Amino acid sequence: MTTTYSLQDQKDTEPKGSALSAFRKMLPLLKKEKKGIIIAGIAILANSVFNLLGPLGIGYTIDHYVIPHDYPGVLMAAGVLLAIFAAAYVSNYVQMRVMGGVAQRVLWDLRNSLFVKLQELPLAFFNQNKAGDLISRINRDTERVNEFFSQGLMRFVGNIFLIIGAGIFILFINWKLGAAALAPGLILFLFARLVSGWIGRVNKKSLTASGLLSGEIQESIANFKIILAFNRRDYFKKRFGTANETNFKAAFRAGVANELFTPVFEWMGNVALVIVLSFGLYLIASGDFAIGLLVSFVIYVTRFYDPLREMARLWATLQTALAAWDRIGIILAFKSDLVLIPADSAETKRDGKGLIEFRDVSFSYPEGKEVLRSANFVFEKGKTYAFVGPTGGGKTTSASLLARLYDPTSGTVYLEGRDIRSYTHAERTKKIGFILQEPFLFSGTVKDNLFYGLDEYKGHSDADIAAVLEKFGFTSLVGRFERGMNTPITSSSTLSLGEKQIIAFMRAVLREPDLLILDEATANIDTVTEKVLEDIIQKLPKDTTRVIIAHRLNTIAAADDIFFVNNTEVKEAGSMEHAVEMLLHGKRQS
Amino acid sequence: MSPKPSPKTPKSSSSMFGMLRQYWKFSALLAGATIIGNSLGLFVPKFISWGIDMYSRGEPITETFYIEFLALSFGIFLLTYFQGVFQTYLSEKAAFDIRENIADKISGMTYARLESETPAKLLTNLTSDIDAVKVFLSMGFATIISSVVVIVGAATLLVRIDWRLALMVLTILPVIGLMFFFVFKKLGPLFKRSQELVDGFNLVISESVIGSAIVRVFDSGELEHAKFSAKNTAAKDTGMSILKMFSLVIPTIGAVANVASLVILAVGGGYVISGSMTIGDFTAFNSYVFILIFPIIMLGFVSNIISRAQTSYNRIKEVLNLPDEKEAGTYEHEIRGDVDVKNVSLIYGERKVLDEVSFSIRAKTRMAIIGPTAAGKTQLLQVLMGLTDPKSGEVFYDGKPLKEYAKQALYSQIALVFQDSVLFNMSLRENIGFSATVKDEYISKAIETAELGDFIHTLPKGLDTIVSERGTSLSGGQKQRIMLARALALNPKVLLLDDFTARVDTATERTILSNIEKNYPDITIISVTQKIRSVEHFDKIILLMEGELIAEGTHAELSKTSPEYAQIMESQKSTQAYEN
Repeated sequence: MTTTYSLQDQKDTEPKGSALSAFRKMLPLLKKEKKGIIIAGIAILANSVFNLLGPLGIGYTIDHYVIPHDYPGVLMAAGVLLAIFAAAYVSNYVQMRVMGGVAQRVLWDLRNSLFVKLQELPLAFFNQNKAGDLISRINRDTERVNEFFSQGLMRFVGNIFLIIGAGIFILFINWKLGAAALAPGLILFLFARLVSGWIGRVNKKSLTASGLLSGEIQESIANFKIILAFNRRDYFKKRFGTANETNFKAAFRAGVANELFTPVFEWMGNVALVIVLSFGLYLIASGDFAIGLLVSFVIYVTRFYDPLREMARLWATLQTALAAWDRIGIILAFKSDLVLIPADSAETKRDGKGLIEFRDVSFSYPEGKEVLRSANFVFEKGKTYAFVGPTGGGKTTSASLLARLYDPTSGTVYLEGRDIRSYTHAERTKKIGFILQEPFLFSGTVKDNLFYGLDEYKGHSDADIAAVLEKFGFTSLVGRFERGMNTPITSSSTLSLGEKQIIAFMRAVLREPDLLILDEATANIDTVTEKVLEDIIQKLPKDTTRVIIAHRLNTIAAADDIFFVNNTEVKEAGSMEHAVEMLLHGKRQS
Repeated sequence: MSPKPSPKTPKSSSSMFGMLRQYWKFSALLAGATIIGNSLGLFVPKFISWGIDMYSRGEPITETFYIEFLALSFGIFLLTYFQGVFQTYLSEKAAFDIRENIADKISGMTYARLESETPAKLLTNLTSDIDAVKVFLSMGFATIISSVVVIVGAATLLVRIDWRLALMVLTILPVIGLMFFFVFKKLGPLFKRSQELVDGFNLVISESVIGSAIVRVFDSGELEHAKFSAKNTAAKDTGMSILKMFSLVIPTIGAVANVASLVILAVGGGYVISGSMTIGDFTAFNSYVFILIFPIIMLGFVSNIISRAQTSYNRIKEVLNLPDEKEAGTYEHEIRGDVDVKNVSLIYGERKVLDEVSFSIRAKTRMAIIGPTAAGKTQLLQVLMGLTDPKSGEVFYDGKPLKEYAKQALYSQIALVFQDSVLFNMSLRENIGFSATVKDEYISKAIETAELGDFIHTLPKGLDTIVSERGTSLSGGQKQRIMLARALALNPKVLLLDDFTARVDTATERTILSNIEKNYPDITIISVTQKIRSVEHFDKIILLMEGELIAEGTHAELSKTSPEYAQIMESQKSTQAYEN
C-alpha cells in the first residue's frame, strides 16, 4: 500500500463554526500548560474585576461624597481606589507574564512537533509535495500562529474577560439601562455573522493571489539565465505583471472588506453612548438612577465597546492563525507508512538469501504508475551489481526500495535474511549507504558535510581528521576545494554539480556501509576523477556490496552482475555485452 | 479599479515620506479623512458632558441634541471607513508600483548583475521589504496623524475645561513618552534578533525538506532536530525577553492612567465641591485622559514601524537607483557561425575560473570541451553566451566582438542547453517553444531530434500537458531532452551543450547526436562533455583544466600529444570496448 501524502488533496479547511471548536483543536498543546493557564486565568479574572471596580468607585464617590460636598470622603475614596489600582497593576503584570510564557512555550512545542513530524514522515511525503510549497507553507503557517500567540492571544483573552465583566457590571448596576446599552452589541453580533463569510472569501482570494505572486517571483528569478538566453524578458514581465495586478485587486478588495469592521464597531459604541445618555437621564428624572452611576455607566460602556472593537481587529489575526493551525494540523496528523514490524514475527522468520533480496516486489506510485511487477533477485555480500536501463525505467525506484525509502506495494525486501521492515531506521541506515542522484549539501563547511551525523569522529583533532581522510584516500579530493576541509558551503556558494557529487560520494563512503548504492553518483564528474573514486570503491572492505546505477558504461564495467531495469521488470543481463545490446536496441519506455 | 503603473519613483525622494508626495492626492484624502474623523471623535465626551450639565441645570434636553449626537457618530463612522479604504488603496497601489518598478529593473539586468545583486536579496526586496513599506503606508501614516490630532485636541480641550487640573494631568504625557522611548530603543535589537532566529530555523526547515532524501538515507533526523531545537529555543528565549519588557510596560501605562484619574477625582472632586467645575466637565475630563493614553502608545509602536520601513525602503531604493544597463550592441545580422575566443579570463573572488583561454572554431564544424570537474567549462559556455562578462579578453562571432551584437538578435541564433533542467509551469509546447521567435515546424523538428516523440505520445494531453514547477513528474533524462528541444527549437546557428547527456542513456544519446547531424547539418556545435567516445569524431577537442586550456586538436592528435588527454581516454577505455 502506498499512502497519499499530497497536501493538494487535502481540502483547505477553512475554520468554520465557532471559535470554541477551533480552540478545542488547540487543547492538546495547551494541556501541558495547565498550571500556567490556571494562574494566568486567575490573574486575568482578578485584573478584570479590579479594573472594573475603578469606574464603579468613581461613580460611587460622585454620588456619595462629591455631590454631598464631603471632601474628606472624596480623599478617603481616592485612597481606596489607589489600593484597587495597585492590585490591578500587580494582577495585570502576572497575567501578561504568565500567559505570555504559556504562549511562548506552546509555540515552541508546536514548532518542535512539526519538525519532529517532518523528520518522521517518509520520503513519499516530500516527493508528493513541491518542496517550495512545503517550505513556504510551513514557514508561513508557523509565523502566523506565532504572530497571534506572541501578540494577539493575551489581548484576546484579556479582552474577553473585560467585555464579559463590563457587561455583568452594566447589567448589575441597572439591568434596564444595561440591556439598552448592550443592544447595539447584538447588532454587531448579527453584523459579524452576516459579513464574515464575505470577508473570509475575499481574504482567502487575496492570500492565494499573494502566494501566486511570490511563486512567480521565485520561479522567474531562479530561472533568469534561461529567460535571458531565450530572449524572454517579456515573459518574465508579462507573467509578473499579471500576477501583480491580480494581487493588487484581490488585496484591495480584501482591504475594503477588512476595514469595515473597526468603524462599524466604533459607531455602535457611540450609539450605545447616546442610548445610555438619553435613557439614563430619563431614568434619573424618574428617580430610578443616580448621576454618579451614570458617569460610571458611561465608562463601562466604553470598557465594553473598546475591547470589542479591538477583538474585531484581532479577529482576522485569529482566523488566519486558526487556519494556519489547521493546516499544520493536517501535516501533524500524517502517519509514517514505514512502520517497524517486530523482528520475531512469523513473517520475518522466513529466511531471505544473500545480503539483500527482492522477493515478488511490486511497486506503484499513488497516482497509479506501475514501476515494478513481481521483481526477484538476490545480492550477495562483497559483490558489485549494476542497474542499467533507459531513463524513467525504474532504476532509481528499485534502488530506493533497497534502501527502504519506500516500502513495496506488495512483496518483501530481505536484508540479511530478515524482512527489511523489522530493522529500526538507525540499524538499517548503518548498513545501507545511498548516494543520491541529486547531491544535497547542508550549509556549513566541507568538513561538516563529510562527517555529517558521524558521532564517532566528533572532537577529533585536525590531525586525526587528516589521518582519516588519508585512510580513505580522500586527501587529494578534499584538497580540490579552495580552503580544503574548511571551505564554507552556503546556499550561494558556487560549487559545481560535479564538486557536490564528490562531497556526497565521500560522505557516503566514510560511513562504511555494508551496501553502498551509487545512483548516477558520478554523472557530472570527469572521468579521471571518476577513476579515483572508482579506486576508492575498489578498496572498500571486501564484504561491501555495491549497487551502481550509471549511464556511462565504464562506471559499470567492473560489475559482477548487471540487471536491466525497464518496463516493470528487473532482468538479469548476464554479460556486459548483453546489457549493452539491450540498452542499444531495447525499446525505450520513457 | 485597474492599476496603471505610475511613473518611476522620483530619485530625489530618499525618505519614505517622499512616497506620500508621489501619491499626494490619496495622501491628502487620507490625511483629510483622518484629521476630520478624529477631531469629530473628540466631541463624543463633550456631548455627554453637555447632556449631563444640561440635566444638572434642570434644562430640558431636546430631540435635536440626540439627533446631532447620532449624526456625529455616523459622520465618524463614514470618515473612519474612508480612512481605512484610502489607506488600503494607497499602500496597495504603492506596493504595486514598487513591484512593477523592481520587475522593470530586473528584466533590464544582465545575468552578471543579477548574480551580483543575488537572487535572494531581490526576492527579499520584492516581498518582505515591500510589505514593511506597505505597513507604514497603510497604518503608520494615518496613525501618526490621528495620534497628533487626538493628543493635541484632547490636551486643548482639557486645558479649556480647567487649565489647573489639565496641567496636573498632562504631566503624565512626557512620563509615558519617555518610557516608551527607552523601551523601544531596547526592543528594536530584540525584534531584530528574533527575526534572525526565525530566519535561522526556517533555513533548517528548508534544508530538511529539500534534503529529505539524504536525511532519511543517513537517518539523521535527530541531528537536524538538534540544529532546529537550538534555534527554536533561542527564539523562545528572545520572545521571553520581549515579553518581560512588555509585561512591565503595559501595566505601568494602565497604572499611570489610573493614577491620573485618581488625581482628577481627588483634585477635580474638590473643584466640583467648591463649585469651580461642573459634574459634566468632571466626566469629560475622565474620558479625555483615557483617550489621550492610547495615541501615545500608538506613537511608540509607529516609531518602530517607521524605522523598519525606512530600512526596507532604502534597500528598495538601492535596487531602483542602480544605473540602467544599456544594451551596447546594435549589430543584428545573421551569423554564419564562426566562433573565436581570445585571451578570455574570468575571476570569481580570488579564484581564477578561466585563465587566458583562446580558441577558434569555423562555422558548421563541431568542437568539444573536455576537462575535469570545476575546470571552468560551464563558465566558458556562459561567457560564450554573453551571460557572464569576462574580466579580460573577448569573444567573437563571425569576427565581430560579441559586445557589438544586439543580444536580441544574437540569442535567436545561439542556443545554450543548460546543465540543470529548468522547466516552467506551463505546457510542454510553451516550454519547448519558449523563445518567442519559434515556429511550429521548428518545434516538431526539435521534438523529433531530441527523441521526445514517443514520450509525448504517451501523455493524454500530448504537447499541451502542463509541466509542474520543478518538473517532478519527469525523469532526469526526460527533462534534459526537453531542455535540448527548447534550444533546438530556435533553429540556431550555434548550439552550446553543457554536459547534456549526463543523464541520458547511451542509446538515446547516440540517436540524438546523429539526429542533430541529420536535421541540423549547418549547425556549429560546442559541446561540454565527459565522454570522449561521443565526440571522438568532432572537428576539434579542447582540454580545459583549472581554467587553463592545456591542449587542443583532433582526437587523433590529442591522443598522441597530450598526456592528460591520454589519461582521460585511459579512464574511459573499458567503456569503449563495449560501445563499438
